[in-house]
Amino acid sequence: MRKMTWREDWMRNKIVYFMMLPIIIYFIVTKYLPMFGIAMAFQNFNVVRGFFGSKFIGFENFEVLFTGDAFPTAIRNTAVMILMNLSIGFIAPIIFALLITSMRGKVAKRICQTICYTPNFVAAVVVANIVIMFLANDGAVTELLAIFGLKRQNWLANDNPPVFWLINTLMGVWQGFGFGSIMYVAAIHNINGDLHEAAAMDGASRWQRVWRITLPNILPIVLMMFTIQIGFSINMGFDKILLIYMPQTYSVADNLYTYTYRMAFGASTDYGLGAASGLFQSVISTILLLTSQKLSAKNNAIKLF
Amino acid sequence: MVEKTGPAGYAADVIITVFVFVAAFICIIPIWHVLMSSISDGFSLLSHKGLTILPVGKITLNGYKMIFSDSNVITGYLNTIFYVVATVGCGFLLNVVGGYALSRDTKLTKFFSFFLLITMLFNGGLIPAYMIFDMLHLTGSRWAIVLTEATMAVNILIGAAAFRSVPKETVESATIDGCGHTRLMLQIMFPQCKSLFMITVLNSFVGSWNSWLTASIYVAGDRSKWPIQLIINELVSANRNFLETQNPNYDRNLIQYAVIIAATLPIIVAFPFFQKQLEAGVIRGAVKE
Repeated sequence: MRKMTWREDWMRNKIVYFMMLPIIIYFIVTKYLPMFGIAMAFQNFNVVRGFFGSKFIGFENFEVLFTGDAFPTAIRNTAVMILMNLSIGFIAPIIFALLITSMRGKVAKRICQTICYTPNFVAAVVVANIVIMFLANDGAVTELLAIFGLKRQNWLANDNPPVFWLINTLMGVWQGFGFGSIMYVAAIHNINGDLHEAAAMDGASRWQRVWRITLPNILPIVLMMFTIQIGFSINMGFDKILLIYMPQTYSVADNLYTYTYRMAFGASTDYGLGAASGLFQSVISTILLLTSQKLSAKNNAIKLF
Repeated sequence: MVEKTGPAGYAADVIITVFVFVAAFICIIPIWHVLMSSISDGFSLLSHKGLTILPVGKITLNGYKMIFSDSNVITGYLNTIFYVVATVGCGFLLNVVGGYALSRDTKLTKFFSFFLLITMLFNGGLIPAYMIFDMLHLTGSRWAIVLTEATMAVNILIGAAAFRSVPKETVESATIDGCGHTRLMLQIMFPQCKSLFMITVLNSFVGSWNSWLTASIYVAGDRSKWPIQLIINELVSANRNFLETQNPNYDRNLIQYAVIIAATLPIIVAFPFFQKQLEAGVIRGAVKE
């Protein structure tokens, strides 16, 4: 077909362009302007003077940021929590998918599945406050742990390294393992039943079939999900920490997200510094997303569907 | 599936079932605990340790009476309803219109999809976004929340995928018959792919009902604009020291539980009805990424 000229294109698609307009305005206001607003990371930003009045000071904010005490802690905690989310948090839904698909009894299975999805719909505020209740001095989890000989305490105030990280990871697991298993359950159901039948005929045990048939068959999906989650890892779930951390536990709980938030909306604000750490976070986020895109472009799991 | 059912097979079945039941138990018990505590007797609940599997003491609804006579809670509810309706509504419009525009073949389609892609990769972050909204005099306004949460590029892409799923023949014959873009979109294509938009509507409904961070940034100072989630957070933490007041009203012990249930139960009860769509949404969404 002959290529359309701009004029013809305009005559034919005028309305489509009018449709693009509100979307473009929307994204300019909510996404593009803030991208340019990142310039404030290089300013001695003053709210009264705004973007245009504040003085540019080069990399001074970054110098302050990188040489401060809080930043290395935030980086370490962010890295640890991402790694825990990508390991424990990633494996939990796969294990659950394997269990639920090999469970007998259709009705019981469906009910359990439905129940396990519910945490996904519980608000962050509610999850955080339930965690606070359960881990308090007289909370249910504290009582349970006391049975195993652990001291009664407010676990959220405990600043020994793995405690807060575990709480954070388990909170994510609780919310996500059921809903996160949907993909894997679908993938497991998609495996050709003949494979299992043939293997069973040849005397393969259930355990062997999980290892030799189910897992290899869902591996492409697992890898795909993993690459996707790498991309989002730095933005996932950190808002909940704002609700459960406290000054005593900053040494283990503070991360790039909460640090940025505190610099902007906390008690003592420093917008320039906050924007600098926000920019740092955004750069890492972009790197992770691009890596994830690259990796998933190589992965051809999508063909399975 | 053929399954050998020797003793080992039974043992495996039992173990699997036990594990799944435990998982389901862990998922439901925190909410159950809060639900049962909310209808317990406020005073007896104070000395009760551990999980509340059954209501403690006499069953009362005083906690609910208290929260529903609290004007903050009512305002919070109404605000949340406003935010949900406005966010889901605006998002839906943008997703349909944007999805349609993106699914058409024009000279600027490439540019448009690139324009959207950039917003997925780069992120200005919390503070610049706040400053921009401040310059536009949107901070402190309810619309700041609606604008922030209405949609994302991914949702427009899902919208475009929905429109592309309509058979080409349908579109062609309609165009030949002289059907313009607006009619094509609304009367011919949308009815055929509306189920796919359900995905974005459901996600944005849940997200908006449960959202608190955006509100805590943009309307923090103005309680009359707080969504229910911020009210919950405040009520629960402020309520922890009610005992220090003189002649404490022990029913106040129930407030924290009642308000959590009041904000959580509607969504938990509603979601099983949409389970099929939600599952389809997850699978489609992942394939799209």
